[in-house]
Amino acid sequence: MAAQQPILTPSAWRPLVVPLLLVAAWLAYSLVRDAGDSATFTSPNAFAIAVAKDTASGFLPGAIVATLARAIAGFLIGAGAGLTVGLAIGLWRPVDRLLSPTIDSARQVALFAWIPLLSAWLGNGEAMKVSLISLGAFFPVALATAVACANVSRHYLEVGQVLELSRRQEVSKIILPAAAPAIVAGLELGLNIAWLGTIGAEYLIGTGYINGMGDGLGAYLAQAREYARMDRILIGVIALALVGLALDRFVSWSSRKVFPWHRQ
Amino acid sequence: MVIKKGFPVAPAIAIGAADAGVEIDQLSKWFAVDKHRVQALDRVSLTVKDGEFLTLLGPSGCGKSTLLRMLAGLDVPDEGDVAVYGVRVERPSLSRGIVFQDHRLLPWLTVRENIVLSLHKSGLSPQEQDARVSELIALVGLTGFDNAKPYQLSGGMSQRAAIARALAPRPRILLLDEPLGALDSLTRTRLQNELVRLWEAERITVVMVTHDVEEAVYLSSRVVVMEPRPGRIQSIIDIDLPRPRKRTDVRLVTLREQILTSLE
Repeated sequence: MAAQQPILTPSAWRPLVVPLLLVAAWLAYSLVRDAGDSATFTSPNAFAIAVAKDTASGFLPGAIVATLARAIAGFLIGAGAGLTVGLAIGLWRPVDRLLSPTIDSARQVALFAWIPLLSAWLGNGEAMKVSLISLGAFFPVALATAVACANVSRHYLEVGQVLELSRRQEVSKIILPAAAPAIVAGLELGLNIAWLGTIGAEYLIGTGYINGMGDGLGAYLAQAREYARMDRILIGVIALALVGLALDRFVSWSSRKVFPWHRQ
Repeated sequence: MVIKKGFPVAPAIAIGAADAGVEIDQLSKWFAVDKHRVQALDRVSLTVKDGEFLTLLGPSGCGKSTLLRMLAGLDVPDEGDVAVYGVRVERPSLSRGIVFQDHRLLPWLTVRENIVLSLHKSGLSPQEQDARVSELIALVGLTGFDNAKPYQLSGGMSQRAAIARALAPRPRILLLDEPLGALDSLTRTRLQNELVRLWEAERITVVMVTHDVEEAVYLSSRVVVMEPRPGRIQSIIDIDLPRPRKRTDVRLVTLREQILTSLE
């Protein structure tokens, strides 16, 4: 039988040290502090009760699902368009000359500065939010894809020349595989911005009233702020951090599976 | 006469000298370095005989790699002409195999996939291509590593695979650009012997670039010694010693001393 592996190796528990210390400090502070002012402070106890309540009512899971669905929908649309445009720019010089200056200028506009324009055209509904998220995902994906395709090592391109590959073979056998890891890095960044943009869209693009969990975590947070509910503010922030972390880990785990040579 | 379908076949009688594999005529090349024009090669003329093992030897900056790249068709001369088996070199071709100092295997393909890529113009059926690849993998001593990815191979094994890729389409000439330059001395010695064996088995013309004098005299039928600024031929040394040779052969040691002295 193999030597017994300790379940909690240092590398396994070390990442938990800081969060646990924070929770311990929070507990200690809540013991010495007067309870009462729920607008600036909530005790771990009240927090746990609020989590249980909002989970049982479906309010919190519903908000998480709505936010995730919106982020993923926006990401798929934006990343799809970004990949298409990025490939066209990276593979054809004339398209590069035609589109790059415009895209480089548009990219300078902060994501939330598009809100006035988009809401004028699309209103404040779902179409507008998803468009904004797509726009957030579009730029990093388009840029990473274009740069990755245009900057494939000359060494590999010479192999294509020496083997007399056609342009089609050069693209499929050399350029795309060589560019893939950088394109995936662009997709990771695009997903990250889509995720941040989703919260911003939900939080900032108010519909004028709170109409339930369909508005997502951003609206959950906006509502918590409106009613000065510190327990729910904390729940919203922690949920965002955890779901965002899970998304991020999932994406980098899958890219390691797909491109094993990249990390060598 | 049966000509194997699809393989590049040179004319039965080469234009010019009947036994001329390579004819280099008054070839000059300049590069732009920091806005200055630097002459890399100055009116170089050279004939490589069919079936010869010829080495271009010289210090860095003597233009030996540039000359080889022009034989491959990866660079074009500014003045003068290069012809291989009576055909003027204008672009890279599968009829001229090349192996670089870095193996340049495509990291996303297995050893087998890398080699089979060079057979896309061979006209062989997929089964025949598979058989040809297996034959080459055995020839370079990589049996059992068909499905390994390049990052799983040692430097020497990668270079063997690169040689197999260059030989697969049955080129009449093999161009080697310091192919053993990045290897440790033990692997290097072993691969030198392998190169001689491959050259004898395939009855192919070899032009190799190296800066290792011992390697040059041990392997070659003729050594072309070059000198820099601007790159030109200093002397051509015939080495008509019988094979198999011994590295300690006093005639080889004397030749090596002579060449080293002439390079000082």
